[in-house]
Amino acid sequence: MRQPDPPYHQDSAYSMPPIPRDEGALPSIKIVVFQYVMAAAFIFLVSGYWTLQIQNEQIYNEKAVRNEIRALPIPAPRGKILDRDGRVIVGNLASYRLLLSRDNLREDHIIPIATGLNLDPKEFAERLRRYRSLPSYQPMFIKDELTTAEFTFVEANRDNDALPELELISSQRRVYPQDGVGAHLLGYVSEINDAELNTPEWARHNPGDEIGKAGIERYYNDALTGVDGERQVRVDNRGNARAELGIKEAVPGKDLMLTVDLDLQIVAELSMEGRNGAVVALDPRTGEVLALVSRPSYDPNHFVGRIDPSEWNKLLTDPDKPLFNRALQAQLAPGSTFKPIMALAALETGVIDENFTVTCTGGATWYGRPFKCHKRGGHGTVNLYKAIAQSCDVFFYAVGNKLGIDNIAKYAEMAGFGHKTGIDLPQEKEGVVPSTQWKMRLFREKWFAGETISVAIGQGALTVTPLQLAYAIGGIATGGVWMKPHLVKESAALAPARKANLNIDHVNQVIQGMWGVVNDYGTATAARLPGLDLCGKTGTAQLASNELLKQRKDLKDNAWFVGFAPKQAPEIVVAVLYEGGLHGNLAAPIARDVIKAYFDKKARRNPRAPEQPASVASMAPLPKVGAAQRP
Amino acid sequence: MESFLARFRHITVLLLLLMAQLLLLAYQVKTNQEVRLIRIWAVTAVTPLARAVESVSVYWNNVFTTLVRQREVLSENERLKGEVSKLRIENQYLQGELATADRAKVLLAFAQTIPSKTKAARIIGSGTGSNARVVYVDRGSADGIARNMAVVTSKGIVGKVASAYPTASLVTLVTQQGFVAGVVSQVSRVQAILRGTGSDLCTLDYVRNPFALQDKEWLYTSGEDRVFPKGFPVGQVRVTKKSNTEFEFKVQPVALDHLEEVLIVVEGIHGAIPDPAPAPSQEVVILPPPPPAPASAEAPAAGAEGFGSTDADRLREKYRKLGEAQGHTYGGSPGRPPDFNKAVPSAQPKPASAAPGKPEEGKPPAAPKEPAPVKP
Repeated sequence: MRQPDPPYHQDSAYSMPPIPRDEGALPSIKIVVFQYVMAAAFIFLVSGYWTLQIQNEQIYNEKAVRNEIRALPIPAPRGKILDRDGRVIVGNLASYRLLLSRDNLREDHIIPIATGLNLDPKEFAERLRRYRSLPSYQPMFIKDELTTAEFTFVEANRDNDALPELELISSQRRVYPQDGVGAHLLGYVSEINDAELNTPEWARHNPGDEIGKAGIERYYNDALTGVDGERQVRVDNRGNARAELGIKEAVPGKDLMLTVDLDLQIVAELSMEGRNGAVVALDPRTGEVLALVSRPSYDPNHFVGRIDPSEWNKLLTDPDKPLFNRALQAQLAPGSTFKPIMALAALETGVIDENFTVTCTGGATWYGRPFKCHKRGGHGTVNLYKAIAQSCDVFFYAVGNKLGIDNIAKYAEMAGFGHKTGIDLPQEKEGVVPSTQWKMRLFREKWFAGETISVAIGQGALTVTPLQLAYAIGGIATGGVWMKPHLVKESAALAPARKANLNIDHVNQVIQGMWGVVNDYGTATAARLPGLDLCGKTGTAQLASNELLKQRKDLKDNAWFVGFAPKQAPEIVVAVLYEGGLHGNLAAPIARDVIKAYFDKKARRNPRAPEQPASVASMAPLPKVGAAQRP
Repeated sequence: MESFLARFRHITVLLLLLMAQLLLLAYQVKTNQEVRLIRIWAVTAVTPLARAVESVSVYWNNVFTTLVRQREVLSENERLKGEVSKLRIENQYLQGELATADRAKVLLAFAQTIPSKTKAARIIGSGTGSNARVVYVDRGSADGIARNMAVVTSKGIVGKVASAYPTASLVTLVTQQGFVAGVVSQVSRVQAILRGTGSDLCTLDYVRNPFALQDKEWLYTSGEDRVFPKGFPVGQVRVTKKSNTEFEFKVQPVALDHLEEVLIVVEGIHGAIPDPAPAPSQEVVILPPPPPAPASAEAPAAGAEGFGSTDADRLREKYRKLGEAQGHTYGGSPGRPPDFNKAVPSAQPKPASAAPGKPEEGKPPAAPKEPAPVKP
């Protein structure tokens, strides 16, 4: 039995008795083990503390700050594209942009997100992979234009219990005219792809950015693109925004006012409905593009964000090639629309004069090969005026033979053929102006004189684009001043006019012939506009040799028309390409409608101004239409 | 004398008593009574006292008996009260069981009518906090329940599974702040987003065509949220017109009253939205549409963008109508080119005569005509 402990105060000299051995106490070995375990645990905790607080302090600190503060981008609205009167051709629509917060992305959420948004999971994962090079706090752009169903899906699931990675931000979606109106002129924006990201042109862009891919959108991408802003919000541990810490407003892109007149553009579009081809309307005095149409067209709205792969494949496999901008890229034989250049070249070089005539019997033989005129019975005796007005091939065979290919090439290039016009649109083609040098350089062959005969009527190796044709004829109509075609006024300041020292009498002779085309038993009386001196030239261009055409019935001749008005002081020149149109006179009404719209609008705006130009009084009476009109 | 009586007081009293005894005996003999007088006197003297004692005795006896019996009654009363309460509780329980069975029967029947695969669950608790609009159900991940599964009853949608635990799940109700579901109206098929507000009413957001949505129209799940299969009732919409173009839409969820058993949709299959019952045929007279605004010769300038269209679209429509009105095929040959300065004809036929009160030159003012009857 234990003795009771003595009270301490009883005796200060009291000494503690030795601790008696307790049978229930831990053995010393257990205490030692316990001590070591505690020491190990302590070391573990200290090392963890070291790692968190000292070794990786910066990393974890940044992570914590990022978790606390989230930066949400504010996409800058892209500049609008306006017509010359300030009307909106391409605008923006308030929309939502769907982002994926990659900071807290769970791998098992990838498939539900892709499924809910109708995305291919593999493609979605691939896009995620592309973003790996960017900091994880930078969200990934998923979609710009959400369907009702997708929007509902996002709204219903972007809570913390389902898919918290989804982030919706306000945005501006690009809106283009419907049914492909002006599509080739305007172009479209779409998400930047891998190939573009690796090019210097787009080096400053990030994955997910929308860039101009074609047309004006591409050419003026830098001006149209604004600077994105940023909104910093404080978020709680579940990612809910609790407070806004700061905002850096987005800087919108610059609005772009085009030289295009929407009225003319629309009339040209309507005139080309159901037809393949192109229409280019220029103001030859300034080079301003008033209308530029290529048909068939595509709907640029489909490209905004990401185009549906099936839609993309449909566009690529369409035999009519709707993505092909025929106004700038279709390099085709101009047919008889080339004859005014031929006439001018002949007059300027002096190989013919105004008294030069040819007897057309419906054909002629040159260098042992027969060449037919489009009028089987022949035009009889033909002078320059009649040759242009009635498009006599035999006359121009003779002129071409006199000129020779190099003279033809010289004047064709002077008019702007064989070179890019320099219009402020991407991917313009230069066409082909054949010459002896050209053939030698390209084929290492000598030019044969017989080949010149075909070129003389706008066939053979000669190819032009509709834009070049409008540009060339516009320059001749203004007496030898070629203004660089352009779509934005500011861009013209950099390009001086190109002038040629032409004899004005020669120019007038050519213009008079073109006046006869429309107004004097010519090949385009369908384009006649009462009260207006409209000059023009039709063209019917074969796509292949006569032998091949017999086998290929689907190869229908292209119809061309180029016209300007008024005759004395041209304000508008219109070139029309009607693919498979068979006859040039079928392309003429398209230009007529555009020119009529131009002058009607002018009269509407200046009601006091005389509707008829001074030259109208001298107009010949309207000829009866009935003569053979195949150009 | 006085001293004599004082001296012989005792004997005197005795003599008087004897005398009185003799007189009384004489009286008894004389009256020939059977009961002795002493007895009569004794009884007469004792009876009132006995009666009083008896009365007191009876009284206290009664008091005691009453007390005892009252205690017994009270005890019996308590027992009976308990029994009544028990019976009441039992009755309620049985009624509850009966109602549960009825609801389960309804729920089972409902579950068999919908294409989706469901699991029945019972509400076992509600969330903490006065604003919490969440409930717990007795089915969890062990039963195949997962997050984001829809929770419905035969009346309509209830909510969705926010968290699935092994034996229970947390269900967010449709009224919970931030809850979102895709809905479509039954008659006008207007699509919208139902949003919980934290109160008993939900709101509608992103209503695609607010003008078409009718008051008291039933809303059903659209299925576009990928949570609720299409075709479950949600509730009736209450439309309040705030201005000509502004509306407020409130929805009272229909399935949240007396919530006890629910179905969790474990495999959702979209159903159909039932067609509304045909309205009784009633002839309705409507006025003709108002005359359109005069068409401007020029398209509106920048800034007047419409929804999803550009000035180019409007201008194209104008020129198309202009061509049609003048019988012109653009780019067509032969044919006269159109006069682009002519006004675009409106869709409504123009009145044959000038407006009343404005006489044409040389003609008297036309009498105002009665409006032609409008066929419904």
